[in-house]
Amino acid sequence: MQPADARTGNIYDLGYRNYTGKRLGRRHAVLALYFYTLRGAFGLGRRTSSKIIPIVIAVIAFLPAVAQLAIAALVSDEVDIITPEGYFGFVEVPIALFCAAIAPEITGRDMRQRTLSLYFSRALQRRDYALAKLAAFATALTLLTLMPQVLLVFGNGLATNDVTGYISDNWADVPGTFAAGLLIAVLCAAGSLAIASQTPRRAYATVGVVAWFLISFPIANILVFAIGGVGRYAVFASPFDFIYGCTLWIFGVGAEFESVQEEAGFGLWTYFVAVLAYIGAGAALVVRRFARVSA
Amino acid sequence: MPILETRGLVKRYGSVTALGGLDLSLEPGVIGLVGANGAGKSTLIKILLGLIDATAGTAEVIGYDVVAQGPLLRQFVGYMPEHDCLPGDVSATEFVAHMAQINGLSRSAARERTAETLRHVGLFEERYREMRGYSTGMKQRVKLAQALVHDPRILFLDEPTNGLDPAGRDEMLDLVRRTGNEFGISIIMASHLLGEIERVCEHLVVIDAGHLMRSGPIREFTATTGTLAVEVDGDVSALHQRLREAGLEAAHEGRQVLVALDGEAAYDIIRDACDDLGVGLVRIELLRRNLEDIFRERAGEGVHAAS
Repeated sequence: MQPADARTGNIYDLGYRNYTGKRLGRRHAVLALYFYTLRGAFGLGRRTSSKIIPIVIAVIAFLPAVAQLAIAALVSDEVDIITPEGYFGFVEVPIALFCAAIAPEITGRDMRQRTLSLYFSRALQRRDYALAKLAAFATALTLLTLMPQVLLVFGNGLATNDVTGYISDNWADVPGTFAAGLLIAVLCAAGSLAIASQTPRRAYATVGVVAWFLISFPIANILVFAIGGVGRYAVFASPFDFIYGCTLWIFGVGAEFESVQEEAGFGLWTYFVAVLAYIGAGAALVVRRFARVSA
Repeated sequence: MPILETRGLVKRYGSVTALGGLDLSLEPGVIGLVGANGAGKSTLIKILLGLIDATAGTAEVIGYDVVAQGPLLRQFVGYMPEHDCLPGDVSATEFVAHMAQINGLSRSAARERTAETLRHVGLFEERYREMRGYSTGMKQRVKLAQALVHDPRILFLDEPTNGLDPAGRDEMLDLVRRTGNEFGISIIMASHLLGEIERVCEHLVVIDAGHLMRSGPIREFTATTGTLAVEVDGDVSALHQRLREAGLEAAHEGRQVLVALDGEAAYDIIRDACDDLGVGLVRIELLRRNLEDIFRERAGEGVHAAS
């Protein structure tokens, strides 16, 4: 009988070989983190319980669009209950909920579970990590801000029995819809991650994001309507208000009668500037946080 | 070419100095990094990985500067931290494959290497389960696998046997030794347990309070002690007495006498003494020190190996 070879005697030796293939470096690492985070935002690749909240919220964001399409199908005519510039008003609450529920997971998990040291000892830099997370979360939010409207455009077109005609009639709204959808998604991602990344604790992060969206809203309205003067600037502290103002500016529509935007009296372009400023500040805060957090 | 080189590496946290100007140059191999808790082992490793910045000084790993060429270098570096670092709600397969991609492997290469590496560390069917249900031993294996999956050229292990039972400890050390010896991966293993270092490593670096105490091959540390163990079949205390009378420094210990060896004459004296007393000489052995002894000496608990 042959004596056993010492190296094959151990069962673990079945596996390891040296790797001679390509190493794709930092760019690939950033993309891999981006897609992993994007999947994770909807709980894909995780247990079922992690999928429930993001998917339920996403479905809620689609409900207004679906409802309008259902009505359009019943009356078999073009129905414009939801205008492109008004869509945000229907989905602002699901978007805020999605941010509050998911943003703490995007940044908090790796801090809580101390996986950061594994990332930062790999082929990417701290800044890459922060920006990949931000980009992934913004992309996830784009699905909420943009996809229902895409559905709406095609659905409405189908309901009118003249798809190409409908699309050419409404073509002018497409760039605005995309611009607004992207801006809202990036803004909400930057703002909520800037807040959520400051703490590994999920509960604190959620409360912080909720406060940013929902608590600022009534306070700003009270300040604008009841106090006026300097209080009018509070409109820039309430995401729902300045996002809506920005959307109106993008579509070239004036502020509605007795709306907070009208009462505050600022030019609508200022809301667009505010959105850009918030995006810049939020992204800077996220990058700064991960440049400093200990790993 | 040295696999690791530091020049004047300093790390201060406020007024606390974690590393005080460390100069180190190491050749490829399995290297043990020893020091008491707080000696600066983890600080050194974290600087080399780019996880923290040094206050002063430079460091190169496999020829790359750890700061200027960080992302490039870290494609070839593996790190197994001391602390927990695994998410509970994903499977080992999913997690290790993701980590391989972060190290620059393509998706398909990452999947293939993940399967091989998890087998290598001894994780089989359970690799498809969520990691929250894993035992400490299984978690340590996954931690090693994620450090190995991209086939690094240098592997940093920070207390790899932490929290393992004796059997798990043996398996982990065996795995580390074979990984270093059979696949040509240089390993820097930090531990405060000398026995482990002695079993696995070829080279030893001792740091204490942020300074390099000593760096050299293990055999230099465990060189012969100059102590003979004499085992006899007969009256041990009489032999002890006789050897002291003959002017040798000797100590009685159990069934043997320990004799300080100064010159060849000691062998003759022992032989003659045994002959005179009529005791049977079973064994004369030149003792080798183990690392524990050296550190005990350093701590000033014993001055002479034979005492």
